[in-house]
Amino acid sequence: MNKGLKLSAAAKREQNWAYIMVAPTIIGLVALNLWPFVQTLYTSFCEHLGFGHYKFVGLQNYIDIFQRPEFWRATWNTIYFCILTVPLGLFLSLLVAMLLNAKIKGKGAFRTIFFLPMVCAPAAVTMVWRWIFNGDYGILNQVLGTRIGWITDPNVVMIACAVVAIWSNIGYDAVLLLAGLQNISKSYYEAASIDGASKVTQFFHITLPMVSPTLFVVMIMRLMASVKVYDLIYMMVEDTNPAVTSVQSLMYLFYRESFVAGSRGSGSAIVIWTVLLIGAVTVIQFIGQKKWVNYDV
Amino acid sequence: MKRFPRAAAVALAITLLLSLCGCGAADGKTHLTFQIWDVYQRDSMVAICDAYTAKNPDVVIEVQVTSWNEYWTKLEAAAESNTMPDIFWMHTNQILYYTEFGMLADVTNLYDDVDPQYYEKHFSDISRGNAQGSDGRMYGVPKDKDNIVLCYNKEMFDAAGVAYPDENWTWDDMVDASQRVYDTLGKYGFMAYNDDQCGYWNFVYQAGGCILTEDKTQGGFDQEGTRKAMEFYIGIQDQPWCPDQTYFAETTPQTAFFSEAGCMYLEGNWNLWAMQENFPEMRGKWDIAPLPKCPDPVQGDGRATISNGLCYSTAAHGKTRDIALDVIKFFGTEEAQLIASGFGAAVSAYDGTEQPYFDAFANAGYDLDLEILNDQFEYGVQSVNNSARPKWKAPVLDELNKVYNGQQSFDAGMDNIQNIINTETAKKLADE
Repeated sequence: MNKGLKLSAAAKREQNWAYIMVAPTIIGLVALNLWPFVQTLYTSFCEHLGFGHYKFVGLQNYIDIFQRPEFWRATWNTIYFCILTVPLGLFLSLLVAMLLNAKIKGKGAFRTIFFLPMVCAPAAVTMVWRWIFNGDYGILNQVLGTRIGWITDPNVVMIACAVVAIWSNIGYDAVLLLAGLQNISKSYYEAASIDGASKVTQFFHITLPMVSPTLFVVMIMRLMASVKVYDLIYMMVEDTNPAVTSVQSLMYLFYRESFVAGSRGSGSAIVIWTVLLIGAVTVIQFIGQKKWVNYDV
Repeated sequence: MKRFPRAAAVALAITLLLSLCGCGAADGKTHLTFQIWDVYQRDSMVAICDAYTAKNPDVVIEVQVTSWNEYWTKLEAAAESNTMPDIFWMHTNQILYYTEFGMLADVTNLYDDVDPQYYEKHFSDISRGNAQGSDGRMYGVPKDKDNIVLCYNKEMFDAAGVAYPDENWTWDDMVDASQRVYDTLGKYGFMAYNDDQCGYWNFVYQAGGCILTEDKTQGGFDQEGTRKAMEFYIGIQDQPWCPDQTYFAETTPQTAFFSEAGCMYLEGNWNLWAMQENFPEMRGKWDIAPLPKCPDPVQGDGRATISNGLCYSTAAHGKTRDIALDVIKFFGTEEAQLIASGFGAAVSAYDGTEQPYFDAFANAGYDLDLEILNDQFEYGVQSVNNSARPKWKAPVLDELNKVYNGQQSFDAGMDNIQNIINTETAKKLADE
């Protein structure tokens, strides 16, 4: 607000009302998001002695975790999980969204089916997938005729988790993308058809640029969620599973650090590290978006 | 739209506010919450609460059950904000941590008006030990006592022509029987799962080793007995008759046992009742036996079983501390412990209150050789603990996993575990 600007009494009153109206959200944000973040930041410089007693230790927690191989392993696991799930997940979601946007019978039923995994409790979803992946009795090995320990073999366990993650999220992402697709005016396609453009050309020159703002938002959200993956891996792979180090994400490590070992200081340091990671990735995305996201409709 | 009458809005707001106040006691009675983690013991806990409230009609106790994992997260958060449940179960894994920060009410002199030697007279050393802080004072009234038993499948033993395990069984007999069962039936024998309390701890103490030294300041993984037992226990999974740890990651030993994929595994007696309830089609097909003993221990007679126990505690600074103390005082009496035993879920800690536990099984028609529990209490070893255990528990498990899947050699793994325990314990002691 320009300071030199003189506001009439009515305008001032309106301005005050505006603050009152946004207050609930702002207060909620500060109390539930901002303040805990500040506390986490502070905790990461402390050693937790127990029951809320902290001792300031400076950067010691960071020095400790940076020296631990399982921390770097967890960082790599998290990045690997993102690489496996985000591009493929987005591609499949876009495909599903386009299919759902086409003129087919029973569109509503298909939309419901694809959205269903989102409605199911993650715990229930993983229980079912664990049975599918079971090395001895699982249906996947029965169908393939193999004996792969999908969730116990360190080499494939991450792929198994990625499959479940993609499967769970396709519906949600597809619905968001579908909204974007439906905003594209039919007249573009009609004009392109008259000019003799093929379906593939239409996709790359009309659909993709027009849906790119939505795609960008979905991508940012999916990437953030993937960096923070915890519940799925925790449910799929227990800590007695010999493959746990090959799939342990940063948030899983944070859980074991903070709640199993009670070291909230180093747990918080892991969280801050994850925040930096998400921040870096998001900055790169925002720079990259100038190259491919199209906002002139 | 018709305007919502202002009076109605005010009335609604007042109702909402009043409903908040409803949380307070409106009936003039004292309301206590009692937090536990085992749903199978809910009935027995409600029963002892009822016995108390029958005598004290002005008290109402609500039993709340949460899952094991959630329990400790919630309790710790509640302790920080001084909103702990009025009464709750305390476990050996956690009691040292809670007492170190003065979170639990000291109950050492709770029975002084009855008998200053009350605990010593009525509870075993292990039961008392499980309720003590590092300072040797009592921070809970002993609730129950348990030990680890060998579950075996009678039908498979019959089919393979092997005699049932008895108190003279050794590790060698267990290996032979496993091999015989595997050879004749193609089923797994003894399923050696990478677990502490229901696994290698028992073997370590049988072989005359230890997980922690007597004064709990050092690990015991450099000792001959410990290494002997660990080598034996980890080595079992190389036998064709034992599944490896990747199998157990998907199928717990209990699941394998009750789906008749394997014929032996270790189980805590606290699960026996639930197992009878949950697997009705398997009733009568299996039984329990004492743990096999080490044939050539480094010291001792080769027998051991890990014996643990819970206790009833209340917060040191709780608002209802005095009433809660009175309640747990009652929970520690012979009367209450007899009632609790009678539900078959746990053997009460009070000496001489074991019989109702056995009767409960007999009355339900669950035929198990429960007498062996009494024999095993004779040589039970207190569940392993020191105040640094929360810090070394997970790293030790990770290290063991590495030894199991061959990423780490046995000797290096044992050295690392010893190192982890010693380092964390020393750090903790330095902090205190």
